Amino acid sequence: MILAAAIVFPIAVGLWLLAAGRTLTRAAAWGLSVAVASGALVLTVAAIATDSAVDRPWVDRLGLSLALGIDGISAPLLVLTAAVGVLVTVLARSHLPEGGAPSTYLGAVLLATGGALATFAARDAILFFVAFELVLIPVWLLIHRFGDSRDEAARRDAGLRFVLFTVTGSVLMLVGILTLVTAAGTSRLDELVTAGADLPLGTQTLVAALLTIGLAVKVPVFPLHTWLPAAHTTAPTGGSVILAAVLLKMGTYGLVRLPLASVPDGFARVAPLLAVLAVVGILWGGLVCLVEPEAKRLIAYSSVAHMGFVVLGLASGTVVGVQAALIGNIAHGVVSALLFVVVGGLKERWGAVRLDAPLPALREYAPRLGFVLILGLAAGLGLPGLAGFWGEVAAVYSAWVSDLGPGSLLKVCAALAALGAVLAAAYTLRVARLLWVGEAAVPADPPGASETVGAERAVLAVLVVATVAIGLVPHLVWSVTLADVTAVMGR
Amino acid sequence: MRVAIDWLVLLPVLAPALGALLVLVVDAIAPRLRAAHLAVALASLGAGAATAVRGVAGGDTVRSLCLEAPEGACLYAVAPTSGMLQTVALAAAAVVVLMLLGDTLAGGSVRTAADEPLRGGPAVAAALVLAATAGATGVVGAQDLGTWLVTLELATLPVIALVALAARPRAVHGALTLLVTSVLSFALLVLGVALWVIATSSSTFAGAGVRDAWGSAESRLVLVAAVLVLLAGLGFKLSLVPFHAWTPVTYAGAAVPVTLALATVSKVAALGALVTVVRSLASVVQEPSPVAVVAALGLVALTSMLLGAVVALRQVDPVRLLAWSAVGQAGWVVLPLAAVSVSATDAAAGYLAAYVIATTVALVVVHLAHGPVAAGAPEGPRELSHTGGLLRTHPLLGGLLALALVSLAGLPPGLVGLVAKVVALDAVVAGGLWPLAVVAVVGAVLGVAVYLRWVAILLGAGRAVRPLQRMPGSRFGLLLAGAALVVTSVVPALVLL
Repeated sequence: MILAAAIVFPIAVGLWLLAAGRTLTRAAAWGLSVAVASGALVLTVAAIATDSAVDRPWVDRLGLSLALGIDGISAPLLVLTAAVGVLVTVLARSHLPEGGAPSTYLGAVLLATGGALATFAARDAILFFVAFELVLIPVWLLIHRFGDSRDEAARRDAGLRFVLFTVTGSVLMLVGILTLVTAAGTSRLDELVTAGADLPLGTQTLVAALLTIGLAVKVPVFPLHTWLPAAHTTAPTGGSVILAAVLLKMGTYGLVRLPLASVPDGFARVAPLLAVLAVVGILWGGLVCLVEPEAKRLIAYSSVAHMGFVVLGLASGTVVGVQAALIGNIAHGVVSALLFVVVGGLKERWGAVRLDAPLPALREYAPRLGFVLILGLAAGLGLPGLAGFWGEVAAVYSAWVSDLGPGSLLKVCAALAALGAVLAAAYTLRVARLLWVGEAAVPADPPGASETVGAERAVLAVLVVATVAIGLVPHLVWSVTLADVTAVMGR
Repeated sequence: MRVAIDWLVLLPVLAPALGALLVLVVDAIAPRLRAAHLAVALASLGAGAATAVRGVAGGDTVRSLCLEAPEGACLYAVAPTSGMLQTVALAAAAVVVLMLLGDTLAGGSVRTAADEPLRGGPAVAAALVLAATAGATGVVGAQDLGTWLVTLELATLPVIALVALAARPRAVHGALTLLVTSVLSFALLVLGVALWVIATSSSTFAGAGVRDAWGSAESRLVLVAAVLVLLAGLGFKLSLVPFHAWTPVTYAGAAVPVTLALATVSKVAALGALVTVVRSLASVVQEPSPVAVVAALGLVALTSMLLGAVVALRQVDPVRLLAWSAVGQAGWVVLPLAAVSVSATDAAAGYLAAYVIATTVALVVVHLAHGPVAAGAPEGPRELSHTGGLLRTHPLLGGLLALALVSLAGLPPGLVGLVAKVVALDAVVAGGLWPLAVVAVVGAVLGVAVYLRWVAILLGAGRAVRPLQRMPGSRFGLLLAGAALVVTSVVPALVLL
């Protein structure tokens, strides 16, 4: 029941804010949504602590029930999602994008948070799909209404592109789910783990291919990533954070839950191709980052590269690989949220953050912001002791030791992925040189005047602590996921 | 020959038919008493709906007009999903009647968007709607070819008259298009029925004759031909490609309440008729399903879905957009039927119900936003941009329209539309036709683009909507349809049985 409350609470209030919140003052809407998001976080943690679960029949015809539950694989993602919900609503105090009523923005954020929580908590494959779709409209709203106010055409294009790509992916996934459910005779995820594995190889391969293509759009895997840079560039800071820290995670989580857990033999046949695409994504993302002039776009492409490591870990078919993917997932969520808050904040101050024009040195312009940027870049590059390190190293290792694929294909993939890590170092240093060291004269305002303000500072502090904590004590995540990953993989 | 008749079971058909007569009688006695017309019409629809709901709640097929043994067949049988369809048709008809009669309770005659009275007055309009509804609920239950054909036409002809009642040239053009189409459709249906009789040597859809026909290779061929011709005839009424051309002309030409009747009551009649045919076939067909039928249904469904969505993308008039969306959605309604199974017909009925509820909300909001202008004021063309900013200026109207549109697109929070799409695809996949489902993905994506375009306009700044007229009937109808949309979004199992 606690779990259901954690999900229904933000969704209900979000819908109410969207429908009828227009009359609220800005402060009231903000206070309400922060309270609701915090409440959802508390309820989520309480639900994990008490191992809360719900199971109610909903649509008998499909055998679809409102089955919600938590295990080691979903618990870290639930906490991440609820925490990101709190951070984004808190951030709205100082960074409320133009484009509509405050209540609309905050309602969309709450709705997206609730939908993502439902996705991670769903214990029924069809319910997973329904929850997956629930996030679409609010995030479209965030991009379409509250995106970059200077360029309406780009906003419309980015929003539509996001929705159409995602719907293509999710409906393909639905066809995969329905094929699986029809063949296996159940839609419950825990039953599918055994029922799906017994299916003939042909069916398994078909299902795995449909599910993997569908989810690959969301992750995104090269070459289905083209919606992501446009969406990130135009979305408001809060929207970018939700996209990177929550939405992309739904894709990788789905890959673990559906093809990997339910049709392992079929997934094993798809995996080598997936690994190759992941590596192409790592290299492609890294190369684009070397030349991309727009800072938000650059971080979006670096996300493609990072998610490449996550997918490579999944495709290796080993326990270490899946563990790497799960911690890489969380780490990317935290680090990219941090980077988007920093760069989004700069974009709001400067109007645009273009690396092809001389920029004022951030170390002098706003030293604290500069420090956080360097920390985020370092974490993204995979520096030991920070969040990004474990996922990437373990993903490369898992691909190296994997016995999947024709010949030593995955070993080649591992080597190329390691090369991608070198590219990451190169583009990270490029950004640091152009943005942190800077070339242009610092504006005449007194030093520190453009420094972080209240809400932004608090949000960044939390993200910095999380980045360092996951880097130093990866067991925070690893110990939680291990038992269930072993159970899923150890058949 | 004795026939056992359970009158109560027949009430969903008899009540609106009786209501049509009563309205005319009341009109003859007290032509000025609008409230009485409305009360009689709503009461008859309500009585019918209550009986239909009772049948659905019972969970079993209800029968009437049963012949004595040895034939033992019942000429009227309503399965729970069919009862649900009857309920939807009756409720939609109630909204149509409310729009036609309720808006002018204060005085004056029924006015269309062009500010012209419907010729014949409100009582005639109401009687025609009720008659069409009786036809629709009748064909859903009809199990013999004669009743099936007659009730199907009873559901069509009054609507043609309704379209023609508006004195505008556009409406007359629309009515003429619809009339020509209906005559063609009727000819095909008669041919199909004749082929069916030849194949099965019986005049019912019941099992024995069909089973024998399926058993022998020669009559099987005739039976399949009958099904294909019937599909073509019903394709006109369902607006399936390539029989869809009348839809945008007639939808845009008719007064909005009449368009609503076309989009709801007529569609229920057409699908109810098709479901009876497919059920009859499904009850005897063993695996594999007849290739010709599967191919025809699949092809028609996919082309309707794709063409309807693509053309709808370019529309400026909201009613035309909804007309092309009707073509696209008809493709989704028919898609599950390609699996030729009883469970697939339930999926098609559920999808249609979800579609009817959402379309009703959308059309009533369009009516309210553009509806009868003050006498003498120029009407101007209907444009999507007129609903711009509706969410801000009229949150209830805008909110319900947005919910209806996302439901038609199959996206949350319009969960009834989403679950209906899942059910439709589920039936297709369960029939082993997953390539069909993969193509349908394209249709789903195009559909999302169509409806989100409108939602974006709703959200946008837009120009100020002209002050809404006092239209109590339409407002009450909107509340009714809106409540149905919200409730079924929370509990989709109410229509997706």
